[in-house]
Amino acid sequence: MVFLKKYVPVLLAIVLLSYYLIIAWVLHRTGYEHSEALFLAEKSRLLFEAKENTLLILGTTFPTLVYLSTVVFSLFGYPFAPILASVTFTTILFLLLVQDFSKTSLQKKFFIPMLCMLFLLHPGLVYTAVTGRSIALLLLFFYLLFRSLFIYYKTQTTFSLSMASIYLTCLIFCNYNFIWLLLALMPFVVLISLEGVKQSKHGSPIVQYYESINNRSQRRKLTNRTIAIYIILFILPLSSVYLFKLLNQVHAGNATYFLTSQYANWSITGTETLGSIFTGIDYYKTSSANFVGTNVVAQTQIVFQGYLLALTPLFILVFAMFKGRLYELLTLLSPFLFIGILLLDNQTYLTIEYYLIFLVLALIGIYYYTGRKYTGTNMYPIIIVVAFLNILAGVYYFRQTSDKEERSFFASVKNVAKKSGSRKVSEEHRMASYITNLMNAEKNGDNGRILMDDAAAYSIVAQMRQLSSNVILPINTYFITVAENPKVEAKYICIAKEKNRLKSFTVLNQYNLNRITNNGLVHPVIMFETENWAVYRLDEGRGG
Amino acid sequence: MIRSAIDLMVSKNNFDTEKQDRVEAIATTYSYAPIKVALCFGFLTRKEYKIFLKNEGKEIVDVRNYEIDPSYLNQCDIHHINSFLYIPLKQDFDGSLLVAAADPFDERLANSLMAKFRTNIKLVAADDLDIIWLAHTIRGRELVNEAVYSLLKKDPSSSGHITFTDSQLLFIFGMVGFVVVMLFVYSIPTIIALNFLASVAFLGSIMFKLYLALKGSQSELHDDVSIEELGALKNEEVPVYTILLPVYKEDKLIRKLIWNLKGLNYPKEKLDVKLLIEEDDDETLNAVRDLDFPANFEVVVVPFMMPKTKPKACNYGIFFSRGELLTIYDAEDIPDTWQLKKAFLMFKKLPKEYVVVQGALNYFNRNENLLTRMFTLEYSYWFDYMLPGLETLDVPIPLGGTSNHFKLDKLIELGCWDPFNVTEDADLGVRVYDKQYKIGIVKSTTYEEANNEPFNWIRQRSRWIKGYMQTYLVHMRSPINLIRRIGWGGFFGFNFFIGGTAITFLIYPILLLFFLVYLVFNISGVKTVFPDWVLYFATFNFVAGNVLMIYVNMMAVFKRRYYELILFSALNPIYWLMHSVAAYKGLWQLIYKPFYWEKTHHGLSKQHSTNAAVPAI
Repeated sequence: MVFLKKYVPVLLAIVLLSYYLIIAWVLHRTGYEHSEALFLAEKSRLLFEAKENTLLILGTTFPTLVYLSTVVFSLFGYPFAPILASVTFTTILFLLLVQDFSKTSLQKKFFIPMLCMLFLLHPGLVYTAVTGRSIALLLLFFYLLFRSLFIYYKTQTTFSLSMASIYLTCLIFCNYNFIWLLLALMPFVVLISLEGVKQSKHGSPIVQYYESINNRSQRRKLTNRTIAIYIILFILPLSSVYLFKLLNQVHAGNATYFLTSQYANWSITGTETLGSIFTGIDYYKTSSANFVGTNVVAQTQIVFQGYLLALTPLFILVFAMFKGRLYELLTLLSPFLFIGILLLDNQTYLTIEYYLIFLVLALIGIYYYTGRKYTGTNMYPIIIVVAFLNILAGVYYFRQTSDKEERSFFASVKNVAKKSGSRKVSEEHRMASYITNLMNAEKNGDNGRILMDDAAAYSIVAQMRQLSSNVILPINTYFITVAENPKVEAKYICIAKEKNRLKSFTVLNQYNLNRITNNGLVHPVIMFETENWAVYRLDEGRGG
Repeated sequence: MIRSAIDLMVSKNNFDTEKQDRVEAIATTYSYAPIKVALCFGFLTRKEYKIFLKNEGKEIVDVRNYEIDPSYLNQCDIHHINSFLYIPLKQDFDGSLLVAAADPFDERLANSLMAKFRTNIKLVAADDLDIIWLAHTIRGRELVNEAVYSLLKKDPSSSGHITFTDSQLLFIFGMVGFVVVMLFVYSIPTIIALNFLASVAFLGSIMFKLYLALKGSQSELHDDVSIEELGALKNEEVPVYTILLPVYKEDKLIRKLIWNLKGLNYPKEKLDVKLLIEEDDDETLNAVRDLDFPANFEVVVVPFMMPKTKPKACNYGIFFSRGELLTIYDAEDIPDTWQLKKAFLMFKKLPKEYVVVQGALNYFNRNENLLTRMFTLEYSYWFDYMLPGLETLDVPIPLGGTSNHFKLDKLIELGCWDPFNVTEDADLGVRVYDKQYKIGIVKSTTYEEANNEPFNWIRQRSRWIKGYMQTYLVHMRSPINLIRRIGWGGFFGFNFFIGGTAITFLIYPILLLFFLVYLVFNISGVKTVFPDWVLYFATFNFVAGNVLMIYVNMMAVFKRRYYELILFSALNPIYWLMHSVAAYKGLWQLIYKPFYWEKTHHGLSKQHSTNAAVPAI
């Protein structure tokens, strides 16, 4: 029994890992692939199979940590690597939570099943695990960051603060938007600095502040401590970003290359602006009968944070439990401030990860403080019920989401549930198979080469069986020359068709193909096409 | 009945009876002459005693300039002389033996000498410090010889007497030759490989330091010895504690030293404090002589013999130590009041294989100037985070210069300090692990004086780095044996921490130069020689290494709440350049003057701590 108790968290984690893998496999059979996962898979493929500029890929692909973790898992196949990574990191998050809950005085028979329920059924967490997105690692570091901050409240050790700063750095290298969390943590630092000042210990923080500021030595101490905590917390993230920008400047010629280049960062092509969603342009018109979901509407409201809270009932409960504990409340509020800053700075649609961070924070809140404050078992059923409401809120989110890929995920899950999910192959997969076969055939024949641009066609490159040396990509130094005059090197060209929403991110689109062929020197012959992609053979034209 | 000078002083109301009883008790316990106890355990000043002798009509003989008959002295045991403070001078004209004694009224001494020499004894008064000086310089020769060569005789493989062994020289010259040949044959690949290795070593060493600091900071809250335990400890339970105070030309610090020792919470009669003064150091000896208040230490004069190093003095001091436990302080040290009791309790709690516990060191003059601030940051992370980190990982801990507490019997078993190693403390730390023992860390701080003068700092630092190189060479004579004894973890820890420290400082200016040439001045030649990936890694390693080291410095301020120092951490790259200067000086000395002890001048600080002893942190 002791053995079982000791290994229960690990056994549960193994079960969860298997569960996620099965779901990922089932979804894969329905043809569902997330573009971020394919982007990461493609960059891993390029790292190992491309012959040029691999340093640029390794050094500038962002989010760095997510990419590096994919690289580690690419041993199991490039398209599968990001999924395996996200499954593993979500399971690790679960394991850490179970272990942390097990260390508290909370009744395990209530809370462990609650965690299992959330991780098995919450659509957001399942989506995190099985899609291969960067969310899993992001949530893991978010959890570790706030856990360290909460431990720091209790222990005031340098270790917790240092670890918090390391996790904050990791978080930024999982999602650059989280750099704004630095601003959001400022009130937290100001308040925590009071801990070291021995002034009116039992008074409210405002009284403590008042008295500290009116005492010369205390004021000096408070200022020094505040600045010191700011520095120790922020120096690593800021200097890491500086270093990364320096390396980008030196090696890519642009300090923000990792943020602005579609070759380095999936979010350039993967995220959508609120404007594009509202105007209902591009794919929404064609694919989902103009449905854009209500989430995007909520995001434009001034009370968006209220909507976030409504979708995380556990957080509301934790918030209520922390009544009267100003430090902790401010820490819990900091992600709201972060979301507020993000809405001002960033006009892109906020996807599930920005909702899930509140769920993670709620779980930290439950086991760190409520376990101490509310030991009565009467609270447990309430928490369980609220956790269940959280799952329902997750379902509601996916019903209302304005993100195409999230809706597509939800639709795939529903199809599987209805047993109507027959095996499907995505169009990118079909295109990848065609190009692979074509290149294999060419290798045995004319050795003709194909021109592709992975700025948009990364989903295709990721799913090819191998990266033939006959594929000319922007990573090759002569790509621009070939793109201008394909006949020099290429026999085929893969383009994004007019209806492809990524067509403006790539030079290989219908517009440019027309421009190239207008002079009559090249005559394009369509070889294979899908809804968004087409492969042309470039024959000799009659001349202009 | 008058049997000694103390009895006479009591009879004349120059000394109270309560003190006399305590003096007698200590004298009986340790077989000391009462006058020795009175003068060395804080009961009587030498000036008062001289006046008393003069009033009693006793003329003080200048024994150092007296023509003595060595045949009598050679029959005396140095330990007996040291305990009873006498020197047989010569046969007097009436046939009796003229003996200079600190207490010319000491009847017991006269009787014992009479029995020994079978002749009448005539005691004349002499200054106790002169007696000690003369006795040690004449009769201490054998012991000092033992102090210098005992480790070499007992365990030659652990002695730094030979800096480079033949196989090490062969390896070093072989490597240099190989690199030179490769530079001629494959110039660019060799330069690339060297650059890559240097930058990886640089970052690796710093990453290890960060890891240690994080590991060490985990133990921040854990108190090994509680205040309650200290309060419950009775004076009868504690053992005799020897404190060695090696000094050289530290005459200005003697007064301070007494006050600092007085702050120690430890029964006076169980403190065996030895001030180790070099034979040629009359300044310090005279400073002790001229004290206006009672001294709470014994003076031991270390006879001249090369190498003139602190470890030699300490080894010599051990011959006269009576303690069960032993520690070392520098003259300017201000130990935590409870440090000795904490160390004793730590030993009680730790398993038997722990033979040393190291206290933390820090500085009282941290805000004096930029250098003292940087030094404080460095010591803070070193002692508060790195050493506990090493302890957690079971990696050899290089002991600090002072505040290391030993089990005396184990210290002797280990062969004491290596007089040929200029960081004998670090070397001993590694040797402890090498001999299957362990070192613990006690949370108790000794405040020292931070070096506030750049050239003095470089002198001190060059000795430390040279010592680290010596230690590295000594223990890497047989890497396979070392791995066998301390395991792979210990071996890598030793390489990164001891070897890596010196190497990092040596390669730092080279990497900095490379960085400046490449990034700041953008000299195109660099880009033609090095491929992109090398430049990427070199830039990353250099910048990341510096940032992480700044970060480690920043961590240091938190435990001691030196928040005002945090911004100075940003100057660490400049501070490291000073280290590099010291490292190259150390390397040069390692080759040309391996045993030369760069003397650090103390007492330069204008700041003084107002507290004799500082509470535990």
